Amino acid sequence: MKPRLLVSTLSRRFLLVLALAFTLAACAGVLGLKTTSQSHPFEHRAHVIKGVNCVECHAGVALAGDTGPVHFPSDAICRGCHTKPHNESACGTCHGESFVRGGAELAREHLRFEHKTHMADVKGDCVRCHVGVADSQPTELRPKMATCFGCHKHQDQWNLRDCDGCHVDLQTEGALPTSHLVHDGDWVREHGVRAASARDLCATCHSERSCAACHGEGTVPALPARLAFDTVSLSGLHRAGFKSRHALEARGDPGLCTTCHSENSCVECHAASNVAPGTTTSNPHPPDWVTASGGQHGQQARIDPMSCAGCHGGAGEQLCVGCHRVGGPGGTPHGPGFTSTKNRQHDMPCRLCHAVGQ
Amino acid sequence: MQATAEPLVLRADALAESQAPVGLLVLQGQDKLRPWIDTEGLVWAGAKPSATGDVLVLTVRLREPHGFGEVRGGRFILTTGAVRPVQMDGGWMIGRTPWGSSLEAFGGAPVVPRFGARSYDWLVGARLAQSIFSWAKVGVSYVQRRDDGEISNEEIGVDLAAAPARWFDLAARTAYDLTSPGIAEARVSAATRIDSWRIELFAAQTSPSRLLPATSLFSVLGDFPSQTLGSTVKWKAAPRLDVLASGAAQGVGDEVGYNASLRTVLRLDDRGAGSLGLELRRQDVSTAQWTGVRGIATQPLGRGLRFSTEVEIAAPDQADGHGSIWPWGLMALAWRPSTGWGTGWETAAAVEAASTPVHRYETNALLRLSRTLEFR
Repeated sequence: MKPRLLVSTLSRRFLLVLALAFTLAACAGVLGLKTTSQSHPFEHRAHVIKGVNCVECHAGVALAGDTGPVHFPSDAICRGCHTKPHNESACGTCHGESFVRGGAELAREHLRFEHKTHMADVKGDCVRCHVGVADSQPTELRPKMATCFGCHKHQDQWNLRDCDGCHVDLQTEGALPTSHLVHDGDWVREHGVRAASARDLCATCHSERSCAACHGEGTVPALPARLAFDTVSLSGLHRAGFKSRHALEARGDPGLCTTCHSENSCVECHAASNVAPGTTTSNPHPPDWVTASGGQHGQQARIDPMSCAGCHGGAGEQLCVGCHRVGGPGGTPHGPGFTSTKNRQHDMPCRLCHAVGQ
Repeated sequence: MQATAEPLVLRADALAESQAPVGLLVLQGQDKLRPWIDTEGLVWAGAKPSATGDVLVLTVRLREPHGFGEVRGGRFILTTGAVRPVQMDGGWMIGRTPWGSSLEAFGGAPVVPRFGARSYDWLVGARLAQSIFSWAKVGVSYVQRRDDGEISNEEIGVDLAAAPARWFDLAARTAYDLTSPGIAEARVSAATRIDSWRIELFAAQTSPSRLLPATSLFSVLGDFPSQTLGSTVKWKAAPRLDVLASGAAQGVGDEVGYNASLRTVLRLDDRGAGSLGLELRRQDVSTAQWTGVRGIATQPLGRGLRFSTEVEIAAPDQADGHGSIWPWGLMALAWRPSTGWGTGWETAAAVEAASTPVHRYETNALLRLSRTLEFR
């Protein structure tokens, strides 16, 4: 069989197997297209269609203030209409999902909100805010913040980062933003540019520890990837076999490491594992790294100076100065595009190579 | 039940590893005594192999109750606008107006790890920002940093965030180096959401020699920026299945390479308590050429127990005597009861094994014991 035909046949087989697997998974409910759990979303829609008013079951909610119970219907209320229940279990065992109830309890604990002040404005129409009720398969009944913003502009509070009017303590609330600042996609890469204009907004939910765990000097011991080793769903550069691939990751994106690490971070670890200058006799560079005509080192240093500084920074710079000082055999190290406002006789690092008068 | 969740939270994590051997104790605490004051701390102590420790965070934040101003002091991560993150001992303050203007100022000394000796190191800066049309914000920032009294970083930056429509948002930032005039870093990200799709376009330019302190000899080698242009697509293919594909062209020096990844996560229940994940990655940029595959699985076992496993295989194109594949694997069992005896405690144990460029075989056992306390 010709290689091209073989590839084509294999591709067709692979696609067929993939399609079959996807179909089987969908049928089996694995993809979530079909509910397999014993509990299911409460049949709010069916009750609404039957003309049951929300407050008939959620008794007292229309007058509820900032405190008090969350007004879940009791079994007695259900049995007021459903006089012949199909079994003796509590209704909430199957009807309604625990995480929806959990969401409501979380909201009660962490939000300053009064149903009684809203009922008149919405003329008793709860669905205006609880839009999920109208869905046949609702998963979330707590209104999204965008729904609040439909009536309450809160622009001044937004500008002042004054979330306390509604949110008691966002940091312990732990609710993910679903209608604004959605942490979606490749958020680990994206968060830096997204946070640039809104650092103080980030701080309304995230503690200082969130930043320090990765961006602090010498944070390696407390890195989430190290400390939360059992949370395998965490993504991020430092997960899994990072120790093996860190050199490739660094070379593949020059300057990336400097986002969090100082140029001395490499030496700290490398010295401990005996692969730093002074701790090893083996040369990590290829044979043509430094030659009489220059070799590879100049070009590589320009592309990725951070890697050089990682081992040869500080006192190690004398190694470069030996050849590249003014009048030295290495010639000028300044590549295209180099400009500086520094005084070459007095400022660091210029004065290392430029003696007075040069 | 009442909306009064302002607890004092204390957490202690003790981590022990068989490799090295390493012991680590992390203590953290947070308290919001009143709406206008909160405090936070995180310290760690460990042995690897000699005893060491450090303070990562120790801050007090005072806040005008309506948000017109804030002051933070102590040890914290400073990052604002186009200023890159710096851990520092010092102070930061911000003043805001209801019409969307804000002025930030900060100053202090960059942190030297492990209580190391300081020379005459300090940094100062400021940022002025303004909201536009309630859907955009633009800021201008300035930072000057000195190492041993000499300027190591002096930059001005511009940042922008805009969300002109519910389905579109944009963020950008750029920093201009004043010591070696030129763009040190520029990043932009634009994203759109359509039904179960999210498509992001991103671009970046970094000048590594300008990201290094200007006091480093390696900052004088010229301007050889690296550029990235790429896209990330997230597709919620099914209620429990997410697919994330990312691809980027990358220019480093005179060479152009690429970076591509495909990640899928299948949640095994509606809440995502159990999940399976698969990630494929290929990088071919300059001298970094490798292919990798990573798989994860996690499943609750009931009674607060959870089993997790993670496997990765990375294969460099050129072995260079460091092994042709680097496999890594971990199996973990965690216990975190949510009710009854043991509430607030968390224990996790794991075994990891790997073949690395340095060691043919490497195994490690990990044990973590955590305790969280909340006082209301």
